[in-house]
Amino acid sequence: MYTILIYIFLYLPLFVVIIFSFSPSKTIYGMSGFTLNWYSKLFSDRGLLLSLLHSLEVSIISVCVAIIFGTFGAFFLVRVKFPGKGLFSTVCRLPLVLPGIIIGLALLILFINLNVRLSMLTILVGHVAFTTPVIMFQVASRLQRMGRSYEYAALDLGANIVKTFWYVILPMIKTAIIGGALLAFTISFDEIIITYFLTGTWTTLPVFIYGMLRFGLSPQVYAISSVVLMFSIFIIFFMARFTGTRGEEMGR
Amino acid sequence: MKKPRVTGSYILGVPIFIWLLALVITPVILMFIMSFKLKEGYEVTKTFTLANYLLFAKNPIYWKVLLKTFRMSLTVSCCAILLSYPLAYFVSRKLKRFKELLFMLIIIPLWVSYLVRMIAWRTILGNRGLINSLLMAVGLINEPLKFFLYNQIAVIITLTYIAVPFVFIPLYTVLEKIPKNLIDAANDLGANEFRTFLHVILPISSPGLLTGFMLSFLIALGDYIIPQQLGGSRGMMFGNIIWSQFGFASNWPLGSVMGFALFFIASIILTLSQKFGYRQGTIE
Repeated sequence: MYTILIYIFLYLPLFVVIIFSFSPSKTIYGMSGFTLNWYSKLFSDRGLLLSLLHSLEVSIISVCVAIIFGTFGAFFLVRVKFPGKGLFSTVCRLPLVLPGIIIGLALLILFINLNVRLSMLTILVGHVAFTTPVIMFQVASRLQRMGRSYEYAALDLGANIVKTFWYVILPMIKTAIIGGALLAFTISFDEIIITYFLTGTWTTLPVFIYGMLRFGLSPQVYAISSVVLMFSIFIIFFMARFTGTRGEEMGR
Repeated sequence: MKKPRVTGSYILGVPIFIWLLALVITPVILMFIMSFKLKEGYEVTKTFTLANYLLFAKNPIYWKVLLKTFRMSLTVSCCAILLSYPLAYFVSRKLKRFKELLFMLIIIPLWVSYLVRMIAWRTILGNRGLINSLLMAVGLINEPLKFFLYNQIAVIITLTYIAVPFVFIPLYTVLEKIPKNLIDAANDLGANEFRTFLHVILPISSPGLLTGFMLSFLIALGDYIIPQQLGGSRGMMFGNIIWSQFGFASNWPLGSVMGFALFFIASIILTLSQKFGYRQGTIE
């Protein structure tokens, strides 16, 4: 019974958003009827479409960069013996576990010191800061479980390092990288706490929606929220289906 | 046989060290340095001073908000645990069918946009929101009640909503690992379900409890978007004050002092949870 109540608590808000996105009247009070008007209006909102494009750009590029940093990082963490490994792992996890405001603030001060104007680049850097550990720890836990015997076998059989990596290791960690990348993508796509600190005039979708909220809640906001909602759910199912990742390893 | 050392070389660490140095360590150090810089007029000068710390220490409003933020974060953590623990216990130990599905159903909100979830709660609690509309439709009230939105409770509810999956995951992970024969042993020795829970399950699951507590606490501690949208002036949190130092107040050094204070608190909590999490250990 208690469990059912919690599930209602978890899902009712999401349904509310979807239902009100079909409301014909401007205010949600006394909703009657059904319209897809607000959805079609989304397509004519240039600012919105532009910020959506920006968000996709930032998420895709930051995830690609994070895959490189993160995969190397995972190998370093799992395969190399070095002192202070525990501390290293904790510090790498900081961008995920620390309150976002600290990372956003610290990066903003970095850019102030470097005299960099807030732009797409600053947002991108902010996103690489937290997408890297997401991928790194997904890959690291796979490497840990995998053990080294396959690598040794390949090397014994005469494969060189590159071949061993390409034909033996990579296929085994591929799903972890993809899973980590999808997870990092979803987090990056709707991140706002860090992004808001690093935003100038170049806005991402969450920052744009946040700006819309200044004028109050409207069916327009619900429509775009529902689209984002559906998009996230689509990615989750994609992820669960193709990688078997349940996201237990994620920190944030 | 050639000794395979390749995947074990230090060169592998270069990219991640560049990342760590450039995007984590340097920014935090620069924040620390910024907190000592003197601000004159609108300019941040090169002179070092303790004035920002004094300004922070002497202003009782900052302390009051910090304390309030602490209290609210604590409440969020406790609420999230109260909601998540029975849920994790039920899904991991009582359920046989649909286990995976129910697990996924709790995790999904985690991936649903933070902003959308915030908007959802503003809709429910708002003056012309769901609760008021329902109450008015039923005829219990004639005017929308104003006390749902723009206070601490609204912020706490929304943050708890955000935090539940974060608490659920570590709890579920530890609870699922408890071997069944341990429970059987406790039952055979005459413990009822409550005593088994108190003396066997609860101690074993405490590392998960601690991790969940830490995650939810840190989520609540640094948020400024939710309090800004749902808190009004009464629900304002420390994050809002920090944000205002970079917005209209434009006092970067003072903002850095506050950022560093938050960093300090977060570090203590992280260290504590790590220490105790390991000491109590899980069944491997």
